[in-house]
Amino acid sequence: CASALLPSNPNYPFSLTRWYTPEACLQFKDHFHAQLRTACQQSTGTTGLKISKVVVVGDVYVGKTSLIHRFCKDRFERDYKATIGVDFEIERFEIVGIPYNLQIWDTAGQEKFKCIASAYYRGAEVIITVFDLADIQTLDHTKQWLEDALRENEANSIFIFLVGTKKDLVSDAVCERTELDAIRFANDMQAEYWSVSAKTGENVKEFFSRVAALAFEQSMIRELEKTTGHMAQIGTGNLIRMLSFACLYFAFL
Amino acid sequence: MQRGGEGEEEEEDGEDDGGPESALQKSPFQLTAEDVYDISSVVGRDLLQLSAGPEVPAAAARLQFSMVRVLEMLEALVSEGSLTEEQLRMERDSLRAELEALRGRAAAGSAQQPNLGPDKMVIDLTDPNRPRFTLQELRDVLQERNQLKAQLLVVQEELQCYKSGIISQRKDQAKELEKEPCDSNPSTSKDSHEKTIIKRLFSFKHGK
Ligand SMILES: Nc1nc2c(ncn2[C@@H]2O[C@H](COP(=O)(O)OP(=O)(O)OP(=O)(O)O)[C@@H](O)[C@H]2O)c(=O)[nH]1
Ligand SMILES: [Mg+2]
Repeated sequence: CASALLPSNPNYPFSLTRWYTPEACLQFKDHFHAQLRTACQQSTGTTGLKISKVVVVGDVYVGKTSLIHRFCKDRFERDYKATIGVDFEIERFEIVGIPYNLQIWDTAGQEKFKCIASAYYRGAEVIITVFDLADIQTLDHTKQWLEDALRENEANSIFIFLVGTKKDLVSDAVCERTELDAIRFANDMQAEYWSVSAKTGENVKEFFSRVAALAFEQSMIRELEKTTGHMAQIGTGNLIRMLSFACLYFAFL
Repeated sequence: MQRGGEGEEEEEDGEDDGGPESALQKSPFQLTAEDVYDISSVVGRDLLQLSAGPEVPAAAARLQFSMVRVLEMLEALVSEGSLTEEQLRMERDSLRAELEALRGRAAAGSAQQPNLGPDKMVIDLTDPNRPRFTLQELRDVLQERNQLKAQLLVVQEELQCYKSGIISQRKDQAKELEKEPCDSNPSTSKDSHEKTIIKRLFSFKHGK
C-alpha cells in the first residue's frame, strides 16, 4: 500500500485500538506502565521484522476487496469486479521503531475459485469473515467460510473477526437488528464483531488498526517468550502482556 | 372494390361476346360473381315472360337450357372442389409425417446429451470466450502475478527511501534485521545477509 510506505502516523489516536462492541470482542484493554516504554524500545533490536498474515473470506459480492482497498488505498469503486482467485495487499506499520506489516490476502468469493483461494489460507494469524449487512443470507454462510479457513490452520493461535459491510446501505434500525444476529454468530465463532462501510469509510481504519494491534501484540508476546527467557521466568505472562500492550500504547499514542 | 374490378373485366368480356347470356358460355372455373349476377338476370327475365304472352314457350326452352347449364357448372365446381380438398388433405398428411420424423430426430439428439453424464458440459469451439485454460495454469499465473506485485511494492518502497534520503540508514537497519533468525526458514538465516529486508517480507506462506 502506497500510503503505508511512510512510517505509521505517530498521531494515531489511542482509541483506534478499541473494540467495536463489548458484546463480541476478543480482548479488553488493560492499564499501561509508562516505565515499560524503555524496556519495549530496548527489545526492538531483538524482535526483527514482523509480518502477520491476514486472510479475508466471505461470500461473493459482500465487499471484501472494497474493504481492503478502502483501508490500503483509501479508494472506493462502485463497479463490481470479481476477484480472480486471490489477491493481496501489504500494509506497513512502524510501532515504536519496530517495522510491522499486515499481509492481507483477499480471496475470491466465487465458488469456482475456492480451490485456488483455499490454498492461501495456511499460516493465517488473523481470519476476517465478511458478510453484507444488506444481505442477511451472507451472514449464514460465514460459519462455513470460517470452518474452511480454520481447517488449514491451528485454530488456537488465530484471531477471528466477523465484519458486516455496506453499513451505508441499511438504516440504523436494520443495522442494529442485524448486529444482534451477527453478535450471536460472533460469539459462536469466538470472533470480534465490527460493522463497517467501505463506501463512506466508516470504522474501516479503526477496524484494521484493531486487527493490527491484536496481531502485533500476539507476535510480540511470542517473540518475547522466545527471546527473553528471564522475563518469562520472572513471570509471568502478565509482564509480557503489559510490555506488549505498552508497545501498542506508544505506537498509537 | 373487388366487385368493381370484376365488373370492368366482365364489361370487356360482355362487349366481346355481347350481353349477359355469354356468362353461361364461360368455363365454370372462370366464373366471376359478376357472371353469376348476369346469369341470374337472364333467368329472371325468362321467368317473368313465363307468366303471360306469346313468348312463353321460347322462354321455357331458354330456362331449361339455363338450368341444365347452371347444374353442369355446379357439378364441375363441386368435383373440382373435392379434388382440391383431397389434394390438400394429402399434402397435410405428408407434412405431418415429415414433422413427426423431425421431432423424432430432435428427441434422439437431445437424448444423447444425458449420455455425457450430469457433470459434463458441451463446449462450443467457435465461442471465443469458451473455457480453455486449466486450473493449474490459473494458479501459476496468479502466483506469478503476486510475485510481480510484491516486487513492485519493493521497488516503490526503495524509490520512496531514495527520495526521502534514508536509504543508507535503512540498509543498515535491514542488515541488522537480517542477522536475526527467521523462523519460517531457519536453515537460510546464516547466509541471509544477501537477502533484503523486503525479500523476507515477501516469503509468502501459502500452498503450492
Ligand atoms: N454501498 C456500498 N457498496 C459497497 C460497499 N462495499 C462494497 N460495495 C459494492 O459491492 C460490490 C462488491 O464489492 P467487492 O468488494 O468487489 O466484493 P467482493 O466480496 O470482493 O467480491 P468477490 O471478489 O467476487 O468475492 C461492488 O459493486 C462494490 O462497489 C459498501 O460499503 N457500501
Ligand atoms: Mg473481491
